[in-house]
Amino acid sequence: MFFALGDYLAGILVGVATALVVRAIVWPGMDMVIAMLLGMAIGMVLHLILGLVLSPILGMFETMMPASLIGMYGGMLFAMRDSMAAGSTTHAATALVGAIFGAIVVLGVKIYDRALRGAVLDAEN
Amino acid sequence: MDRETQRKWDSASRTLDLFAFAEDRRLGPHKRRLFSKMRGATLMVAAGTGNDFKFFPPSMHVVAIDISPKMLERAARKVAEYEGSIELREMDVCDLEFAEASFDTVATACTFCSVPKPIVGLRELRRVLKPGGQILMFEHVRSGIGPLGILMDLMTPLFRRVGPELNRDTVGNVQKAGFRLRRVENIYLDVVKIIEAVKDDAT
Repeated sequence: MFFALGDYLAGILVGVATALVVRAIVWPGMDMVIAMLLGMAIGMVLHLILGLVLSPILGMFETMMPASLIGMYGGMLFAMRDSMAAGSTTHAATALVGAIFGAIVVLGVKIYDRALRGAVLDAEN
Repeated sequence: MDRETQRKWDSASRTLDLFAFAEDRRLGPHKRRLFSKMRGATLMVAAGTGNDFKFFPPSMHVVAIDISPKMLERAARKVAEYEGSIELREMDVCDLEFAEASFDTVATACTFCSVPKPIVGLRELRRVLKPGGQILMFEHVRSGIGPLGILMDLMTPLFRRVGPELNRDTVGNVQKAGFRLRRVENIYLDVVKIIEAVKDDAT
């Protein structure tokens, strides 16, 4: 229970942080390609920092795998949105979208993990 | 001896135990299940700070090697807590000082993400295994899931400086080194895996 809850909170934290930092740096009208590359770089740095801080409590793999998806792909999505001025108008709304994105990615990773878990080769049976 | 690798892991020895709390609870049961298959003379490669000793079955005699003397200093404190005997040796897996066919079992835990020449290291392990001997591996590898695999490729140059590589094909490397795969199991996504392989009698 501790780890399950912690995984979601970690994902939400990375999502919120990425969304807010991207919002602070990417301005409406910025070239979308540059914005997306910038968003990816921001997400990469943030997920590494937050992932390394949280890993001793939640586990390296279980923290870093979802965090990398949230940070880098989320960073690109948030940057695309902000360069088009097509998204949340307040910081609270930006954070909420980041939180929802983070939680959904963690859920997706957990579902995928369940599907993949188990023997993929067993020559004895 | 690969001095660059030795320095990197000497430096990492200061922080490795920080990750033990969560890793022991989340991955420990899988390691215990894997290492319960140890039999006969056993070689543990990359013992690190000795965090995995507690997952060994009791009453074994294990030779545990690591390239880093700083890691072994920390591991020495945990040897006394094991209900069996563990002999620590400073050694590079790519240049083992053991005679051919010395061991029945080789065990590794998150080792071949870090060995600079993994196939050379695995061939050395095959050399020191007796015919019919087994290798029990708990390893992380590159994900075959498209977006995740790409991320691991992107992050590897950064991680390589301070720790492991994230995009190794360890299952493939085990086969390239001449082992026959006995069992492969996904533990977390398709990234953390149990790999069991055998040195066939005839080879």
